[in-house]
Amino acid sequence: MAGTKISRIIIAENSPIIAGGINNALTKITGLRPKINEVTNKASLLDIVSSEEIDILIANPTFGGLLHPDEIRKNSLNSKIRIIAIELSKLSPQTLSLYEDHIHVTDDISTLSDKILPPEILKNNTQEEKETLSAREKEIVSLVVKGFTNQEIADKLYLSIHTVITHRRNIAKKLEIHSATGLTIYAIVNKIVDLSEIKI
Amino acid sequence: MGKTGKYIPQDKMVSLIADDYRLLQVLSRFGIHLGFGDKTIEDVCNDNTVDCNTFLTVVNFIKNDYLLSDEPLSLSLNSLLHYLKQSHIYFLEFCLPAIRRKLLDAITLKDSDVSFLILKLFDEYVDGVAEHMLEEETNLFKTAGNLASNENMNKEEIPAINKHHLKVGSKLKELKNIIIKYCPAESNANLLNAALYDIYRCEEELTSHCLIEDMLLYPAIKSHQKIS
Repeated sequence: MAGTKISRIIIAENSPIIAGGINNALTKITGLRPKINEVTNKASLLDIVSSEEIDILIANPTFGGLLHPDEIRKNSLNSKIRIIAIELSKLSPQTLSLYEDHIHVTDDISTLSDKILPPEILKNNTQEEKETLSAREKEIVSLVVKGFTNQEIADKLYLSIHTVITHRRNIAKKLEIHSATGLTIYAIVNKIVDLSEIKI
Repeated sequence: MGKTGKYIPQDKMVSLIADDYRLLQVLSRFGIHLGFGDKTIEDVCNDNTVDCNTFLTVVNFIKNDYLLSDEPLSLSLNSLLHYLKQSHIYFLEFCLPAIRRKLLDAITLKDSDVSFLILKLFDEYVDGVAEHMLEEETNLFKTAGNLASNENMNKEEIPAINKHHLKVGSKLKELKNIIIKYCPAESNANLLNAALYDIYRCEEELTSHCLIEDMLLYPAIKSHQKIS
């Protein structure tokens, strides 16, 4: 799925069979592009959540003695980290209340998908789908590849230089092209400019 | 092989390559030539004055999908630096020029289409990589080299590396996408595919190289600083 955000996921589970199984199941969820780390001790778990933007932590509640989800949230670089419990044996309601959700070995892919990627998160992701360029953005692309500076483009189009920069940022994001040469190729192939209009 | 799926000094060197041909690169970058018969990893390393522990750490790191075990690292900075410098030479003097030649064969250079711009984009990319690697060698590698030769470098800050790496990776992705999406129709499909395969492989190798710098060299420098 184009534009789907990569999700950083940590699996904190000491059994390689279970951790590997979860890892494998995650790759089968449509719309999820997981980048998964498996951790085997508490120190490396804390280290990774405090230094990287982690979206989801899937953890065995007995990991590292006893896992304290609130301690993880407190140390987490991403304050909105989702912490999901792996329920291997029956967990008490008090324990479950500390987690956003819990998964079970008998869950099928679609159940897992609902728990890992709740609808509100999915919605945010699909909003990043690529769009085509607006007329104004095409106008700016054509001027950029003809070699005009941001200030010159602003003057020509009666815009502020900040607006031009914002447009350029959006164009780069939409097209996933950040270099001037790349943009030139795009503009020529899509007939926004003619090859003869460009000085190389 | 040890029980944990890791290679140990007593394994035969040849079994390494039989398991994963990507490790051929590792051998040559450490300065180990082929033709070692049935010798063990330890013996081959000794013959070539390569620190066996460092060699195995790199091999197991690649083999284990770039996951580090919880054991503390003990690396020879000199051996690791030799490896990383040889990687730079490989990318800049062999891999990237070879891709350029293939690309040039695949697209017919003409003034009337974007073919020459694609080559320009590639050249700009290579310039970026070269600049990044040179900077790394003059800053990070130098710091590491001084530490290895026991010069007092405690107060010196370790130059940051992670940010640059993201850039090097995303630019190659951009280049690949542009070739796939906008390449002129007259290009030779087989030659172009060959060039693209090489670009994909080069991307993987660059990622691997960057991971080794981030996850092995960096911690190795830090732990050397603590000791000295």
